[in-house]
Amino acid sequence: MQPPVWLGHGWLPTKQLAVLFDGVLLTAMLSLAVCCMATVIGVMLALAVHYGARPLRWSVFSLIQLLRNTPLMVQLLIWYFAVPGLFGEEARIWLNTPHALSLTGSLALSWPSYEVLAALLALSLYGASFIAEEVRAGLSAIPRGQHEAARAMGLAPFPAFRCVILPQVLALIRRPLIGQYTAVIKNTSLTMAIGVAELSYRSRQVESETLLTFQAFAVATLLYLVVILAGQWLGRQREPVWRGAR
Amino acid sequence: MNLALIRDNLEVFLLGTSQSGAAGGLMLTLWMAALAAVVASVLGLAGGILLTVGSTWLVRVLEAVTVTLRAIPVVMVMFWCYFLLPVLFGIDIPGVATVIAALSLISGAYLAQAVRAGISAIDRGQWEAGRSLGMTRAMLLRFIILPQALRVMLPSFVNQWITLVKDTSLAYVVGVAELTFVATQVNNREQVYPMEIFLFIGLVYFTLCSLIAALGQLAARRWPAMSV
Repeated sequence: MQPPVWLGHGWLPTKQLAVLFDGVLLTAMLSLAVCCMATVIGVMLALAVHYGARPLRWSVFSLIQLLRNTPLMVQLLIWYFAVPGLFGEEARIWLNTPHALSLTGSLALSWPSYEVLAALLALSLYGASFIAEEVRAGLSAIPRGQHEAARAMGLAPFPAFRCVILPQVLALIRRPLIGQYTAVIKNTSLTMAIGVAELSYRSRQVESETLLTFQAFAVATLLYLVVILAGQWLGRQREPVWRGAR
Repeated sequence: MNLALIRDNLEVFLLGTSQSGAAGGLMLTLWMAALAAVVASVLGLAGGILLTVGSTWLVRVLEAVTVTLRAIPVVMVMFWCYFLLPVLFGIDIPGVATVIAALSLISGAYLAQAVRAGISAIDRGQWEAGRSLGMTRAMLLRFIILPQALRVMLPSFVNQWITLVKDTSLAYVVGVAELTFVATQVNNREQVYPMEIFLFIGLVYFTLCSLIAALGQLAARRWPAMSV
């Protein structure tokens, strides 16, 4: 069956679908890595703002505001174009040549290209600044008595935080956190500007190779919807799905 | 730091490089953000009201549209507008209009949900009181519900306008000569001072966003919330 004339001369060939699939794979992996890094960094920033001494608190708070109120695109360009200039010539050449981290035997983990590295850093810090604000809001909603009670029960400061405060914070900020993770997935699309071959980049590539604009964008849009709605569905499960399997 | 570079290119950053006289640089960023903010606010208000009072099928359709618009990246929506707008209108659409359309649609979708939430935050008794005074639904919305709901929604609107200013930088991807695009042009020409150039435009965006946030806070203080 041929598509109507205004949609072009045919459907996407399998080869091009595979290109788009490569793109969504990179989008998914990049998003996963960024979500993990952004959460860790975000929680640390929030802890610094909530518990830190005044100079630390203010400097971290300003950093968060700076990250939140500048466009991600500009931050990507800074990491991509400007930061390598801070290193010496040798480091720059090393960053731009492919490396493989050889693990045991045949297993080798390839070192990501500089585009991907810059994307990881920029997206993680940008995401962390938003997650930090959610965590901070969660932390300030927990009554002080909770911490004092945990300490009075004989828990050391870290276990008190880890076992008493953190679970309550996580329960409180679960929904906004899912929103932030959705934003991370969408934000990976900006990395096409520095040449990361994720889904948006691939859809543009397929479009210019086949001239099947509608088909290329439709498949890419569907793939985004699948990734994002699947992610949101996973986040809405009361218990992590993988825990129920046991 | 090479600040002379910024000074020498200041006019390019502010107005762009175009010889045709069309605005570029910061001018274009401001222009796109302002227009998109107005269109998005109108769309958001209309969408939010329809989501509240519309018939079942209309609400379902609107809900599907807003959920979809919120679940795909801005870049993809820009691609769609780039492709679909000329098909729909049968004429060549400039890149700037494409970007404004995409940003308005997405922000409109976010604002529609905020407006719906804001309206539903108003106590049911307000509706009933208005109805028992013999007001029509339109009068009720106009004189009783919206004045209170808009105050509740103010922070959502301010946040969305800030996001909008930041998102104009995505126009870089489709080659519209706004501030970020112009900065990469300057960077390509100069080659040696990327840090100065991008930190400078980062600071410009930061100032803009902080200004909007400050104005929002000022408005919130001048316009105290009614207890609802």
